[in-house]
Amino acid sequence: MIGWALAGACVVAGMGVLAAVVSPRRARPACVGAATAGIGVAGLVAGVAALSGQVLQARLPRLLPLAGVQLALDPLGGWFVAVTGGVLAAVALYGIGYAGGGHGPSGRGVQAALPVFAVALLLVPAAASASTLLMLWELMAVTSLLLILAEHRARPAVAEAGWWYAALTHVGFVAILLGLVLYAAHAGGDSFAELRAAHLSPALRGVVFVLVLAGFGSKSGLVPLHVWLPRAHAEAPSPVSAMLSAAMVNLGVYGVIRVGFDLLGGGSRWWWLLVLTLGAASALYGILQAAVAADLKRLLAYSTVENMGLVFLGLGAAGVFHTSGAPALAALALAAALLHVLNHAGFKALLFTAAGSVLRATGTRDLDALGGLRSRMPATTALFAVGALGASALPPGNGFVSEWLLLQSLVHALPAGGVVTAVAMPLAVAVVALTAGLAVATFVKALGVGFFARPRSDAAAAARESPPGMLAAMGVLALGCAGLALAPAALGQVLSRAVGTAIHTPANVVGGGVSLHLAGIASTMSPLLTAVALAVAVVASAALIRLVTTRVTRRRAVALWDCGAGPPTPRMQYTATSFAEPLQRVFDDVLAPETDVDVTPHAESAYLVARVAYQARVPDRVEHALYAPVIAAARRVGRLGPVLANGSVHRYLAYGFFGITGLLLILAVTR
Amino acid sequence: MNPNELIATAVQVVVVVVGAPLLVGLMRQVRARLEGRAGAGVIQPWRDLRKLLRRAPATPTGTGWAFRLAPLLLMGTSLVLAAVVPLLTTASPLDPAADLFAVVGLLALGTVTLALAALDTGTAFGGMGASREMTILALVEPTILVAVFALSARVGSTNLAAIVTATLHDPLRVASPASLLAAAALAIVVVAETGRLPVDNPATHLELTMIHEAMVLEYAGTDLALVEWASSMRLTILLGLLTSLFLPWGIAAASLAALPLALAAFLVKVAALGVGLGAVEVFIAKLRLFRVPELLAGSFVLAVLAVASSFFLA
Amino acid sequence: MTDISYPQYLDLAAGLFLLTAVGVLWRQQLASMIRLFALQGAALAAIVAILGVRQHSLELLLVAVGLGVLRAGVLPYLAWRALGDSPAEARETRPVVNVSTSLLAAAALTLLAYAVTQPLVALAPSPATAILPAAVAVVLIGFFTLVTRRRALSQVVGFLLLDNGITATAFLATAGVPLIVELGVSFDLLLVVLVLQVLTTRLRTAFGSSDLDELRELHD
Repeated sequence: MIGWALAGACVVAGMGVLAAVVSPRRARPACVGAATAGIGVAGLVAGVAALSGQVLQARLPRLLPLAGVQLALDPLGGWFVAVTGGVLAAVALYGIGYAGGGHGPSGRGVQAALPVFAVALLLVPAAASASTLLMLWELMAVTSLLLILAEHRARPAVAEAGWWYAALTHVGFVAILLGLVLYAAHAGGDSFAELRAAHLSPALRGVVFVLVLAGFGSKSGLVPLHVWLPRAHAEAPSPVSAMLSAAMVNLGVYGVIRVGFDLLGGGSRWWWLLVLTLGAASALYGILQAAVAADLKRLLAYSTVENMGLVFLGLGAAGVFHTSGAPALAALALAAALLHVLNHAGFKALLFTAAGSVLRATGTRDLDALGGLRSRMPATTALFAVGALGASALPPGNGFVSEWLLLQSLVHALPAGGVVTAVAMPLAVAVVALTAGLAVATFVKALGVGFFARPRSDAAAAARESPPGMLAAMGVLALGCAGLALAPAALGQVLSRAVGTAIHTPANVVGGGVSLHLAGIASTMSPLLTAVALAVAVVASAALIRLVTTRVTRRRAVALWDCGAGPPTPRMQYTATSFAEPLQRVFDDVLAPETDVDVTPHAESAYLVARVAYQARVPDRVEHALYAPVIAAARRVGRLGPVLANGSVHRYLAYGFFGITGLLLILAVTR
Repeated sequence: MNPNELIATAVQVVVVVVGAPLLVGLMRQVRARLEGRAGAGVIQPWRDLRKLLRRAPATPTGTGWAFRLAPLLLMGTSLVLAAVVPLLTTASPLDPAADLFAVVGLLALGTVTLALAALDTGTAFGGMGASREMTILALVEPTILVAVFALSARVGSTNLAAIVTATLHDPLRVASPASLLAAAALAIVVVAETGRLPVDNPATHLELTMIHEAMVLEYAGTDLALVEWASSMRLTILLGLLTSLFLPWGIAAASLAALPLALAAFLVKVAALGVGLGAVEVFIAKLRLFRVPELLAGSFVLAVLAVASSFFLA
Repeated sequence: MTDISYPQYLDLAAGLFLLTAVGVLWRQQLASMIRLFALQGAALAAIVAILGVRQHSLELLLVAVGLGVLRAGVLPYLAWRALGDSPAEARETRPVVNVSTSLLAAAALTLLAYAVTQPLVALAPSPATAILPAAVAVVLIGFFTLVTRRRALSQVVGFLLLDNGITATAFLATAGVPLIVELGVSFDLLLVVLVLQVLTTRLRTAFGSSDLDELRELHD
């Protein structure tokens, strides 16, 4: 079943590439989109099959020289394959509608890259040897780079984003490569089975883990390796953004779980404290940047950094519990992390597609220029609201369920003992709480400023609702979010199975029907009951009002309160920037915003002001502090180039000659 | 789900719905008397509500469904909270939903609907109120959850009824530093969440200092009645939650016989707390908005100290 | 509620002891900082007195009385006199680290104190050593105050906090301090406060404020 589904996905991908090359430009997005959706469905089938207990083991020795290709799919991999498949299917359908009417990329190369990217995403969690994983990882990286660069002719910022992505993804790839090669060299084989059985010294294991964490963390946008993410996810075409943010970043999480828990078997506590710290830093930094962002897609991208931070925080906590001998708590924290991956994929795909619809309808991503979309695009607004509810982790949204699980594992960590847990867990709870609070503010801003109130520009005033195809795809995602929000207990069994594969002990973490029960902790939560009670209470209060109003009253249309100064214009409304100003001021020391006030006085008198120019921006501080010196150093090294390469062919040949003789000399001396 | 539980919960909801405006009236009256005014009487908020309920709601130009739905949603969350939080009884049929994190989430949901409605009006006041309210909400969150940590770590559950029952069984726990510190931290949070002095002045209509009032400026008629009513219910529920967590005596279990006693105890405790809060408010001034983070950072320290002391004194 | 026992009294006194230290970081009014310090002195005396009652030691009780007089009475009074009456001097307006961050730092320092004292507590678990983290936290918070406040007087208070913490640590970690040592330390303190009071007055006459950053001018 799994084998057939994955093989089917590859065949469909081949057909998709063929279709991209031969079909006319007009039909191209539809053909490729259908193929990608097919790949997604195949992935979903394979993932669900793996989660229900089927196992795939496949060796294709001829496909690659030396090691061959080894594939296997266990419940852990199945979880990620299923998530990826679901996202791909819905977003690809959305992409078909998105491309209609000349929007989005329809070039041959970009369209051919899409099915390859999709199939690479699906196969990464199915890789069963280091070399297979690395090959698929690189395939995924290169095709995603092509997709990000799709609109590079239209905006120069795309090219810049591409540079950042290319540089960081390859640094990450090199780190993973070094880590896994080191590991495989000492294990005597590169299949996961051999790696799992290997006995390495603790120091070496630590080195391997840190290298692999850096590589996978850069893909998930862990601070400080996140700088590519807000650029690339914001500048890519919206369906691609959705795939990157909802599917690709998850694979970093998969990598850390696979190598850290499954292959290395848990390791030492400092690894996981490192993961915990990095996760907490990413969560806080990501959401702070999102809270002050005025660009809708940039906001969503930073929110991805935040959510991945929360997932890594969960992984770190799981690792700490695992190494302190509390497997039940470890299983709970890991389950929370995995569930959050799924929930995040659901609401982030929905939010990015909705943002794409807005971009398509108005041509702008700037929240300060949006507004009033709820009357022009009611369905998109409602769908965005569903996603925002999930992202702000409020009940009854789907984000709340996984954050609740995470908090439960952190709050009840005391039996796991040790001073470290006693100090780290309250701080982790505080970080999760602050993150959740800021996420609420962020998404109130995105929804309230972007979609409600009155239009702040002509483009926003002239927006038109998206075609039904796009709405349908988004509707599927919204239904998925609702299902995850209301019936999380239904996933209990498969979640336990995935967690059990990762930590090698059968776990029964979450269960229950209407309400969610945990193993070993007396807390329960019932999202369905809460939602029903809320609905009943709203209806009841509406009825109550009807009942107690003595007269039948109709709503009066009135003017807005204007302080007697004439009707308020749309320019008087709060914008995203002004909404975030108090937060920006509170977190001044962390964000280090730059403001420029330029006062031009009148010619006659210095006291009369002719013009005031105000400019404020919040640069990414990590980028400034960490990357600017590196880039400057690289540039200095680059200046050596003209000295080394002065144009003389003899000199170039001499480099080669001396290189070879030098190498031979060393060999002769050392042997 | 047995009928006793249903009846007890229904009584609890009715008490909150009917009593909330009276609590606000009581606090205003205390303030008035201490300031040397006669005051409008305890039932004035009810008279106001009756008046507002006779007026038609207004739909200002350019507002949409968020503006119209928000009062209902706010009322809805308040009703659910009134049913879920153990004020009179620990045996609510909604017990599986009576998780502290869920309660905090529902409170935040109510605030969020109001903030969205304020943004929906598209006025400077609405935006200002929403922006400030969200800032405070974000900063309050860590204090609440860390205090919850301190309260629930020893009980082994974040279920409210479980925490209250555990305190009832071990009354000495209330006098421990962990519990006192958590109580102080949560008290500051309650003040901030309900928009009382020194964080927000419920009586102000000065543009630059408003938070809550700025958000509800455009409401009129039944809409305003709902918002005011729900706000007073939130105040009652939060004060009641404080008393339930730290002075739980009198709260009934599933039996109906204990209900009258529980009702009397609840009324006395919440009224005393309300009178205290009203009296304190006479003597303090509103903080500048950008000093509020200091206050909340202080409450956060209290919460962390609560957790720490629950460790090292355990 | 009637039988609050010895550990609980001790816990409450220690809680007050730690809270007042946090309060000093929280408040900007120098006058209320001094008031909090006086309260802390009382809490310290209470801790020692509770220990004395428990161990039936008259010496400890005498020390407690002495501590109470000195730290809740004399030292605050001297600091109060140094305060002067100029309104510009009454507030710690621009601490090096702002108040919110200071409070977060205090939280972190408390957790750190908890972490480092854990092995000590494990050596001899008793109600007295259980509140050792609070004493060490006060030491750290006092040091932090010393580093981050600008006014000479708030530095004095920081120093006194530090010393209160050290004294409490000494009483909690060991069976007690010899009376003569305690007396010596107390006289030192008195001397320090007197010197700083003189310094503050001189600073004010020389520079017009008691901001210690002004001392930098002496360097050139």
